[in-house]
Amino acid sequence: MSAGETRRLSVPATDEGIRAALDALEGLWTAQGVSRAVSWPVAVSLDEVLANVVHHALAGRGDSARVELELQLEPGDPPRCEVRVEDDGPAFDPLAAAAPDTAAGLDERPIGGLGIELVKRLMDEVHYERKQGRNRLRLVRRLVAMEPEGA
Amino acid sequence: MEIAEERSGRSLVIAPLGRLDSVSSGELERVVVARLDAGERRLAIDMAGVEYVSSAGLRVLLLAAKRLKPPAGALVLCGIGPSVRTVLELAGFMSLFAVEPARPQAIARLESTAP
Repeated sequence: MSAGETRRLSVPATDEGIRAALDALEGLWTAQGVSRAVSWPVAVSLDEVLANVVHHALAGRGDSARVELELQLEPGDPPRCEVRVEDDGPAFDPLAAAAPDTAAGLDERPIGGLGIELVKRLMDEVHYERKQGRNRLRLVRRLVAMEPEGA
Repeated sequence: MEIAEERSGRSLVIAPLGRLDSVSSGELERVVVARLDAGERRLAIDMAGVEYVSSAGLRVLLLAAKRLKPPAGALVLCGIGPSVRTVLELAGFMSLFAVEPARPQAIARLESTAP
């Protein structure tokens, strides 16, 4: 592993922006030689967080609204990944939402809230702060393999 | 996203390829809904080519499961790798789906489903 890397980018608050962010994350893995087997929880979490921002916080504002991202990989054993997501939408703390009932049956199963619950379970740390009129989310994960419970 | 389809007897296999995220899931949803609207009742979704799935992808699987709830139809998931399985488990979704290791078993299970 090399000396680590930080990538900063600004994407529009649209589906294209989400795609660009996920592509940038994949580019970071490739450049740093990180395998998908350990990096996928970060990709899923980034998708959840950006979908939340684009479809809720900044919904309807189109191309003029931007999301600022910082993707950081620190070498180590295991390597550590930190993702920062910032937007100027209305104050919204996704972590404050109630956890969904993940034991409900097929007919009662709600989908809202599931994404953020996944982020909490996939990442080691999730932090939210509202600062200077901006929402700031910070996600941290040590890149170790995550095995299914039944494996 | 690329989405492959294979017919086998009375069953249809839909196989999305790549990452099943908040952007690409809409494409899978359109294909699944179109096939269900056209009368498909035995459906396998082969996840072998899926790198990872987020909640948007889970939403499409749930939608298909609800519309194919027995006895109205049958849905089987197959080709589930470690990342997809982990997300299904964290979401508490494993118990909601019929799961087979790979496509041949999924088709066999669908074909033996009554009526």
